[in-house]
Amino acid sequence: MGLSNALARYAVNHAHVLLVEAPGHWLTRAAAEQQLLARGWLFASSPADADVLALCGTPGPEIAAIAARLWEQLPGPRARVQIDAPHLAAAAFESAATKLLDVTLQRDDSQGRSATPNGERHRDNESEGHDGGHDHGGHGTHVGKGEMDGGHAEHSAMDHGGSSGHGESGDHGGMGHGMDMGHADMGHGATSHGGMDMAPAGIPMTHGGEDRDGLELDVLHLRLGPVLPYWPTGLVLRCSLQGDLIVHAEVTLVDAQHARHHAGVRCAHHRAARRCDNAAGLLALSGWEDAAGRARRLRDWLLSDGDRGTTARDLDRLHRRIKRSWLLRWSLRGVGYLSAADVARLDLPGHLRGDTHDRLLSMIQRAADDIAGSADASSDASEHVPIVKIGDVVQGLDIATARLVVASLDLDPQPAASAVAHA
Amino acid sequence: MYAGAAAMALVAIVFVAGLYGLHRLLALAPDPLAVLPFQSGWRPEEHALSRYHVRWYLSTLLFLAFDVEMLFMYPWAVVVAEMGATAIVEMFLFLGAVFVAVVWAWREGALRWV
Amino acid sequence: MPDSTVTTVSAGWALAAAAILGLLVAFAAVLDGLFSARTAGAGPSGMTRPLGETARLVRQRRRTTVAADTLLWRIGSSGLLFMALMIVTVVPLGQWTLFDLDVGVVWFNAMDVLAWAFVWLTGWGANSTHSLIGGYRFLAHGLAYELPLMFALVAPAVAASSLNVGTVAAAQADLWFVVWMPVAFLVFCTGVVAIAVWGPFTPALGSDIAGGVTTELSGVDRLVFQGGRYALLAAGAAFAVPMFLGGGNGPLLPGWAWVLVKTSALLAVLVWLRRRLPAVRPDLFMEVGWVVLLPAVLVQDLLVAVVAVWRT
Repeated sequence: MGLSNALARYAVNHAHVLLVEAPGHWLTRAAAEQQLLARGWLFASSPADADVLALCGTPGPEIAAIAARLWEQLPGPRARVQIDAPHLAAAAFESAATKLLDVTLQRDDSQGRSATPNGERHRDNESEGHDGGHDHGGHGTHVGKGEMDGGHAEHSAMDHGGSSGHGESGDHGGMGHGMDMGHADMGHGATSHGGMDMAPAGIPMTHGGEDRDGLELDVLHLRLGPVLPYWPTGLVLRCSLQGDLIVHAEVTLVDAQHARHHAGVRCAHHRAARRCDNAAGLLALSGWEDAAGRARRLRDWLLSDGDRGTTARDLDRLHRRIKRSWLLRWSLRGVGYLSAADVARLDLPGHLRGDTHDRLLSMIQRAADDIAGSADASSDASEHVPIVKIGDVVQGLDIATARLVVASLDLDPQPAASAVAHA
Repeated sequence: MYAGAAAMALVAIVFVAGLYGLHRLLALAPDPLAVLPFQSGWRPEEHALSRYHVRWYLSTLLFLAFDVEMLFMYPWAVVVAEMGATAIVEMFLFLGAVFVAVVWAWREGALRWV
Repeated sequence: MPDSTVTTVSAGWALAAAAILGLLVAFAAVLDGLFSARTAGAGPSGMTRPLGETARLVRQRRRTTVAADTLLWRIGSSGLLFMALMIVTVVPLGQWTLFDLDVGVVWFNAMDVLAWAFVWLTGWGANSTHSLIGGYRFLAHGLAYELPLMFALVAPAVAASSLNVGTVAAAQADLWFVVWMPVAFLVFCTGVVAIAVWGPFTPALGSDIAGGVTTELSGVDRLVFQGGRYALLAAGAAFAVPMFLGGGNGPLLPGWAWVLVKTSALLAVLVWLRRRLPAVRPDLFMEVGWVVLLPAVLVQDLLVAVVAVWRT
């Protein structure tokens, strides 16, 4: 027991935190990031990597359901905290540390968890009713761990009976729901796979679909967001992937109808901080941790109303550093290029013209303008990026460039939820 | 002569097994927890194991050709100093010919895949 | 066998070699902890990060995903450590070596190619889309870095007229190979960084795909994978010493000490680079590998061969 306690003490000093941000609460998330780094903790990139699940802000029903599902995926020792306001972050992490240190509590928690992801399934069925395709998931769970050998496959096929057909139609239901922007070439309805469908563990196998060259290739569906490192809050992109290429993407927002009508970012300092936050995300996605850390610190200074002069100088230094890095320019040049015509067609704000590298520099520049007070504050409100257009922007890109492009769109914290509702 | 390598392989296996053993003793629970794969908090719609669209397929063919050729370099490296200029000329004519193929494939766009 | 200048020690010393690699890994991890604390700009120094991370992962429960290919997954995640240990068997520590293979250079090559299998299997086994994408990203990098790396290994072998690592090291008594084959050295270092999925070659573990290959790893599975990456970086740095940095040659200190000093120095540079450079996207690097690195290293080989012939 002594050893377990000693291990726990060392471990807790280096915990990894998975942040879940409720829409409209980016300041809480920023404060949480600052506090956890101050403790010597790190960001977790996935639940497997996390000891602490920190819910930043007051979640709507969808985010709450997602957080519950993620909570099941944390390996444990685990602690869940909710941070309602920025100034509560430090105390929340303190309580998380206490929970992680409690060896008995953690052991009991771990023993109480079943070896199969059963319990979670049933909850899903309720909260995800609109995704018809998965509803039969619950039936398949007793197929054990779903080995692919004949017996089991047959078993699960029987299990589903009509439900593989149901899965198929559900699939289409899934594809068609929300804003269907005319499925590019997703002709997989034609491929017949009725009763042949195998669904180990209640999850179907992939189906074929035609790629851009007319070859039939497997299509995987992957939702990006809402919980993903450096991903815009609340945004969900349901991607149809062939390999890592996005052949089709649908945009939704979580808890859109529950979003509190937060009037964007009012104060110029906070606007600048938001630009820095977005720049930090883009730099982190491009793999340049040093520069990302710098942008993040600038954000924190701006949020704590630090000295204007030094912040402006540091921002300028970051701008020059980014400009000087030929490796960064090489990797971002030409990514997601938007011509003036594209910007007009997609109804995007003018500062998004150019490629991802231009947009990164413009982000920093606009932060500097905000600090200097030279920005035209009135223009800001009209400059929201219409969220639905993101699907068009990323279609045909691979995941890596799509992530860079989405990060470069420099979204404001509370996207115009109404734009999605009637799209 | 191979004893050293065999002993090291043994050390590697024992070390990894030892870590797993240690983990069994010290972890919260010895058995792994079964979970769904991470998909931003959503349930997966399909199994990920699928026919992945490898867009750099052409590069793999080019690689295979060059890789097999590369094996000639090792024996050649040992003898080139004593064989003299002919060995250099022969090898680099050969490499040059293969590299022309690479340049051709590049011009054809085999190395670009987005 | 040509004039081998090293003595083979008994097999029992494998344990000592593994321990030295372990110390190098600890050194690299502490250094990385310090740098990462500096990037964070706040909080404790990061000195104890490796210890804390190890404690954390030893305590953490393992996970398995639905319908995972568990056997291949575990082989993949623990394979990197195995590779690294096998690489150091052929690296002479001053005048001692564990495994005095005639074709030690080829041995390194054979081991480093295993990374393709291990990293990809780790990505594949989890049955998770993010990690699958990560695995394929590594292969795409591999296609571009592997050939230049192989040709870079040939340059010292040509200069020393031997594929025996000890002989290659001994051939640098007058002049280190890095001085007159810098291109091969840089390409070799690029290869080492890529094998360790380090620094610019981290898209396979990218945060854009939630950790990629490591998305679903926890507990000891993650520990052996991450430890394996550090071990590969250390083993690669150690192998660069007899190949390019003059092996145990140096004034005052004994040979074994010079090997350790040079290894640590190169390792420190590689660790430092991690945060300084943005990631290199596999699709962009493909062209660089084939159209820039490959011809550059071929010209290097040609120059080295001409010099080697001219000297005899």
